[in-house]
Amino acid sequence: MIESADFLSYLTDNGYTFSTGVPCSYFRDLLIDLEKDDRFTYLPATREDEAMGIATGYFLGAGKTFLIMQNSGLANIGDALTSLTQLYKIPLLMFVSYRGLEPDRDFPEHIIMGDVTKSVLDAYQIPYWVIEEHNWKNVLDNALEIMEELSKPVCILVKKGVLSD
Amino acid sequence: MKGAEVISKLSTILNGEELIVSSNGNVSRQVYHLLQGDHIYLRGSMGLPVPIGLGLALAQPNRTVLVITGDGNFLMGLSAMTTVAHVQPENLKIIVLDNEIYATTGGQNTVSSTIDYITMIQGMGINNSRSFDMSDSDHLISEILKDTTREQGLNVLHLKVEEDTIILDNIPHHPIDIKENFVNRLL
Repeated sequence: MIESADFLSYLTDNGYTFSTGVPCSYFRDLLIDLEKDDRFTYLPATREDEAMGIATGYFLGAGKTFLIMQNSGLANIGDALTSLTQLYKIPLLMFVSYRGLEPDRDFPEHIIMGDVTKSVLDAYQIPYWVIEEHNWKNVLDNALEIMEELSKPVCILVKKGVLSD
Repeated sequence: MKGAEVISKLSTILNGEELIVSSNGNVSRQVYHLLQGDHIYLRGSMGLPVPIGLGLALAQPNRTVLVITGDGNFLMGLSAMTTVAHVQPENLKIIVLDNEIYATTGGQNTVSSTIDYITMIQGMGINNSRSFDMSDSDHLISEILKDTTREQGLNVLHLKVEEDTIILDNIPHHPIDIKENFVNRLL
């Protein structure tokens, strides 16, 4: 598991102090530490597309935002990805839990989205990476570089046990 | 009074420093053509002008942020108002131009006619809200707009307006240019 302290320090080192989103249990430990960390403001949104709207406004006001959501939320942000953030070229760092794989075999509500998560991101033309404990910094360095270069949202998929027990 | 007339009247009230987020369709066209300055004219993302305004207000706490939205758009993103109420950004003002229809798509009804906006907005935890029926000529639009845009603190203005009869030209800028112009304005 990635230590929340290391993960949050990486984000502040890269200029992130503001975050919004909708929680997933895969981010439980991270969110506990994020919410009590004075370096950050985390704003709970009611929907994932709302979170993306808040992040867009924050960017246009010269701030950086990282988003947190479950992959079920990918189904709620289709319009925000196509007619807002990609249309206006808004760079955003999205952390999306990768539900519906083997650890979720007893959670049928996640299975179909788990099956199609990568296809959905491909269809929306959103670059994505899966992070693991051993490679996360290199992956994030690369993702941030591509996000800046393309000026669009990029997605980091987070499997069970990577950012929370 | 029509929605475009309200927006037109705003040009005499605003001081030029306000940052405006306008909802997709007719409202963005009207804000583009009738008001000065470079603003965030949304082309799509129905339902998101309020959260975009919220994010902008948080990033620019010393500027007044004004969201101008139609009723259909406002209702689609209604839950974002509960987030706004929770945050209570002092510099955010929201104007809902309520003609009770989806005017841009041909005048289909919204469900707005059965909503008590003030009760709803107060129930969310926003104390400062006003509602006026602009078919009643007793209401002075200049005073109403001055109160909303110049008063301290979060507030919401709901105006019942008549359907616009003139559809303005499309916004001639690509959204990438809309963004660049806005970002450059803040530099």
